Amino acid sequence: MMITTTEFLARTRMDRATLEIWIEEEWLIPIETSPERAFTEADLARAQLIRDLMDDLGVNAEGVGVVLNLVDQVHGLRNALAEVVASARAP
Amino acid sequence: MKDPYEVLGVARTAAPDDIRKAYRRLAKKLHPDLNPGDKQAEARFKDVTAANDLLSDPGKRQKFDSGEIDASGAERTRQQYYKDFAAAGAASPYENSSGFADFGDGEDLFAELFRRQAGQKRRTRGADLHYRLAISFLDAVNGATQRLTLPDGGSLDFSIPAGIQEGQTLRLRGKGAPTRGDGEPGDALVEISINPHRFFVREGDDIYIELPITLAEAVLGARVKTPTPTGAVMLTVPKGSNTGAIFRLKGKGVARRGGVGDELVKLKVMLPSEPNAELEAFLSTWSPGTNDDPRKDMVS
Repeated sequence: MMITTTEFLARTRMDRATLEIWIEEEWLIPIETSPERAFTEADLARAQLIRDLMDDLGVNAEGVGVVLNLVDQVHGLRNALAEVVASARAP
Repeated sequence: MKDPYEVLGVARTAAPDDIRKAYRRLAKKLHPDLNPGDKQAEARFKDVTAANDLLSDPGKRQKFDSGEIDASGAERTRQQYYKDFAAAGAASPYENSSGFADFGDGEDLFAELFRRQAGQKRRTRGADLHYRLAISFLDAVNGATQRLTLPDGGSLDFSIPAGIQEGQTLRLRGKGAPTRGDGEPGDALVEISINPHRFFVREGDDIYIELPITLAEAVLGARVKTPTPTGAVMLTVPKGSNTGAIFRLKGKGVARRGGVGDELVKLKVMLPSEPNAELEAFLSTWSPGTNDDPRKDMVS
């Protein structure tokens, strides 16, 4: 289910300039479709995570990039580990 | 619902600032996206958030203190967390394998695992053979098919994945020494080193290049042909671009699983290689104005 930029901004209650910065920083990677970008539910949840980091956890803009990179690595590792566990269990 | 003061670990008399600090400390520890495998942390985080919602709002806190409301109404239903999507196994543009890329390619990792399981039945497996191979910068960036000539005169053809890094080792299954028993041959392990390029420099997934431009191109602006690892592109140099100005060519860096880097073009303004009488004549009559001193920061 694709989400338009307008809907994304409304649901995250963020402004367009901030979104552009986040995309420029590659914190968010929307799908480039013509004529407009599209977002997924995962992008929405990721935007919420960035908001939590900045608003609730006191992480500054430089730190957000570091945290996201590590979070992405953790998920990469988790998914790889899940495959290893699944293949170890397979007969 | 638990007592919100107890959940946050603050006194009933705590100042708003203490509540905020206590919440922040717990949230850093318990945020579900920072603990993707810990269900308990997620449950505790929910309590902590609810307690904070109640106590950080002076009106609600006062009503709670005077017994007008209890803690139960404060619970928010939170939308899903990012981890719920990242764990779905769907291809994600964010997923990052740099936490284990040095284990070898993902497929090799699992192949190795399968083989070890199967190998328990087998006694003898041929030895692994180690090789080193230097490849060109562009082959490392773009990927290529390579031939390795072996000491015994044979050869090995294999493909280099795009974005391979200095020192990375490729495992070629079954290309090692044969076994004397009835097991499989060993693997060939090829350690890759990358030769430097004449003008590209790689840092992580980004490519750096210093692009010489003429004085006229710098002053007047121009469209300049710029090499990238995948072929030249036209770069628009704006009017008045100086030496040191950097332009980013998005997506022209190293493409690897988990993302693609950029090419960063640094301009270098070049005077004509031969002395030029016309330019000299022009400059002797031209002045940039008294305010334009490039060394003004150096005046002590």
